[in-house]
Amino acid sequence: MVDAARHPNIKILSYSEVKRVEGFIGNFKVLIEQKPRYVMADRCNGCGECSPKCPIEVPNEFEEGIAPRKAIYIPHSQAVPLLYTIDMDNCIQCYKCVDACGKLDAIDFSQQPKHTWLDVGTVLVTTGFDNFDPSVIEEYGYGRYPNVITTMELERINNSAGPTAGQIIRPSDNKLPKSVAFVQCVGSRDQRYNEYCSGFCCMYTIKNAVQWKQTHPDTDITIFYMDIRTPAKSYEEFYQRAREMGIRFVQGRPSLISEDPQTHNLFVRAEDVGLGQIIEVEAEMVALSAAAIPRADSDQVSTTLNISRSPGGFFMEYHPKLRPVDSPTDGVFLAGAAQGPKDIPASVAQGSAAAARAARILTAPKWEIEPIVAHVWEDRCVMAQGKKCGICATKCPYGAIITEAGKAANVTPAKCHGCGGCVAECPHNAITQMHFTDAQVIAQLHALLAHEPEKKILAFMCHWCSYGGADNAGTSHFEYPASSRGIRVMCSARMDQDFIFEAFRLRAGMVLVSGCHPQDCHYITGQRVGAERFEKLTKRLEEMGVSPKRFRVEWISAAEGGKYAQVIREMDKTLKSIDPQTLKEEIERVRPELERRLRRLPEIPDVARALAAVAVE
Amino acid sequence: MAQSTQLDVKFKDQVTTEPGGENLLRCYSCGTCMSTCLVSRVNPEFNPRRTLHQVMLGMRGQVLTGSTIWLCSACDACYPRCPQHIHISELMEAIRNIAAREGIERPGPVAVVNEPLCSGCGICVKACPYQALTLVLEGKDVEGVERRVSQVNKQLCMNCGICAAACPLSAISVEEYSNEDIAVRMAADGWFTDQGPVKPGDPRVLVFNCNWCMRAEADWQALAGFPPNVRVITIPCSGRVDPQFILLALKEGADGVLVVGCDPGDCHYLEGTRLAQGKMHVFENMLKQIGLDTGLVRFAQIDTDERGKLPSLIERMVADVKARAPAHAKSTYLGEKHD
Repeated sequence: MVDAARHPNIKILSYSEVKRVEGFIGNFKVLIEQKPRYVMADRCNGCGECSPKCPIEVPNEFEEGIAPRKAIYIPHSQAVPLLYTIDMDNCIQCYKCVDACGKLDAIDFSQQPKHTWLDVGTVLVTTGFDNFDPSVIEEYGYGRYPNVITTMELERINNSAGPTAGQIIRPSDNKLPKSVAFVQCVGSRDQRYNEYCSGFCCMYTIKNAVQWKQTHPDTDITIFYMDIRTPAKSYEEFYQRAREMGIRFVQGRPSLISEDPQTHNLFVRAEDVGLGQIIEVEAEMVALSAAAIPRADSDQVSTTLNISRSPGGFFMEYHPKLRPVDSPTDGVFLAGAAQGPKDIPASVAQGSAAAARAARILTAPKWEIEPIVAHVWEDRCVMAQGKKCGICATKCPYGAIITEAGKAANVTPAKCHGCGGCVAECPHNAITQMHFTDAQVIAQLHALLAHEPEKKILAFMCHWCSYGGADNAGTSHFEYPASSRGIRVMCSARMDQDFIFEAFRLRAGMVLVSGCHPQDCHYITGQRVGAERFEKLTKRLEEMGVSPKRFRVEWISAAEGGKYAQVIREMDKTLKSIDPQTLKEEIERVRPELERRLRRLPEIPDVARALAAVAVE
Repeated sequence: MAQSTQLDVKFKDQVTTEPGGENLLRCYSCGTCMSTCLVSRVNPEFNPRRTLHQVMLGMRGQVLTGSTIWLCSACDACYPRCPQHIHISELMEAIRNIAAREGIERPGPVAVVNEPLCSGCGICVKACPYQALTLVLEGKDVEGVERRVSQVNKQLCMNCGICAAACPLSAISVEEYSNEDIAVRMAADGWFTDQGPVKPGDPRVLVFNCNWCMRAEADWQALAGFPPNVRVITIPCSGRVDPQFILLALKEGADGVLVVGCDPGDCHYLEGTRLAQGKMHVFENMLKQIGLDTGLVRFAQIDTDERGKLPSLIERMVADVKARAPAHAKSTYLGEKHD
């Protein structure tokens, strides 16, 4: 931290909050609120005279709340910058600190929040994690029994710079415990709280146990675990060392921790899976290795930066394998536990990777973007004619479209990712997506349905998931009938209802629309835009007289080749079960209504030409 | 040795398609269910974690003929603690259904109806927490009126004895815990007599203790360590306590009776402790009406996880009874007044 503070190109803004982020890759504008410290940065020299005089004591956040801090404080002794801060929520304004500060005169109670706009090229999100509060797991008694603590609290007790100066004591009587039990996977790998594995708890538990065993070899240490996970370099060897030191490992998840009310000793009850019997271990202290959970303010950060979150709540990367440090918003990168639970080496590696990814952009004079962006035909946009609309802007997951009364919608190409949601949603056909224009899709549609359309299943697939799923079906040799014909678009959001109407007008037997599962969407909320549309469309088609069997919506991930094949098999079976005469009659009955709905399609530039170019039966 | 060639790989599919068996494959064998469950104290063979693992491996024979699936009383203590949200009692039910279809009968003791005594009143049917009892047409009595009697469904009966305690005619009995068995255990070694093990001057305290209300092994040891004037009779459920037992004990010379059950939410037999609560409340009123000291008969419900609760309750009871009445109060109570 000190190195960072001294670096000429690094500016640290501590005690600050990012309030707003505008702009796009290479050109972000960031509004920063610097909170008032009530201590003048240019005068405070960090001497620490003030803090002992302060009469207020509140739980110290850095010490996991097990030690007090004053209302005028530094977060921890190595804090950079070394500046005292007054916590105004707890300060009683007795001004004792002012007296203690004396000649330096660094305390200023009149400070106000300061707002600054910064121009930056990239943003790195490294907001870390929070700890799961185990008091919700009633059977473990955390918060009820004094000697049940978290392993993070033990980490502080065990630390020579911690509140006990490294003396291990237990809370009920401040004595050195002769026995301790660690409980792993508290609030993680648990469907009730967090499904994911927290990853680094195994290692920090073993570390604390080893440290303890080294200083107090007589201590009886038991670690209750379900699986010990030591996948990184040299970790298994460390685990082995712990075993050889005599630390007892019991495979079994405790179901109950109970307390002897007299001695405050604890009884940890679990099934020792190796024994196949219940084991009860009496311990003078119990440490719960609680899960790492997303920061409480993750929602706010994700809204400010327009980045999405994975099912566990951590920030989602652009691609789990190929772009693990990029966020879905270009120019915003993720590192450390903000992206998912990880230990120090992994966080350092990811931080370095993210910095390098950011440097790539900062050092380039120009930045190329994908060409598949949205384009507005200004003459068709009703906003330009003074009418109210702006639907496109509400559907854009990236805030790339700006609408102003009296002006045509304006797309910022650098922010557009090319999902095509706005294109499909525009009721006036005033937006197109480059390389996925209506004319191109309709031309494909006509070509695919040129022969015997009643016997065909037209499948719209999103590029990232369902198309990958279909591909996976092929490479995995999952067989499915040859009656399907696929059209790839970038996202289910691009699947315009006109395409589906047009397919049915062309007598397609069946239409499938498929995209990612909601949590997998590549375009943050693109899938939702599509899903909402298809829900309405399903009803509308039924009202129009199209048999509901003929239109299907499925969410298929890139790994679900089997599901894709299964869906096509089922649809083919259904199609074959429909009497051809009935199908024919239905098609003829619905055609006029479809034609009425599609009457404005040829108005779209190029669509008429595309329609004319293909020979319609 | 389990050999893969002898495993039925389809067994797990059969269980997962059975209603209640859906979440089987989520189990990662952490043992939370096993260490929550108290049944293994009584039956060391019982291990739901192992049974689930056996199902996943395909050890069909062992699972269906083993005792574990039948011993689960659906108290659902494990369900809220299971980190994988597996409803184990429903899973056991699903496996039982498969077993039942294959003609496998529940092993172990069940309730038995003494048909000639049964009047067909149906009180037991209402009391049974497992719907194991039904009234069936037995024939016609001498007057030609249709006669119904209670019948036990062996597949459902958990042998808790709640029906036996409810039956006003003592027409139902449960194996191992019949009225006679309990009376014999109460009076064993001449406990009520002066020649028995109780030292003269010590108050006789009889404790009816539910089998499932204590988890800590130390507490069980403490129970065994009481002097002979405290007699602990462990029964399947506080719902098994027939007020007759208490009356009998007082009549024979007990100075205090303590009935102990689980907290209402923790009952091993779903409704047993709630039924006992009602019954003991009525009983207390009855004692009041006939002018007896109600403090001599107590009912306590204890939290399974609380350590040392029952031994301290007994100690307090002994001290209270000693303070209240002179020892050996045979003549003051039921014996003379109501003979």
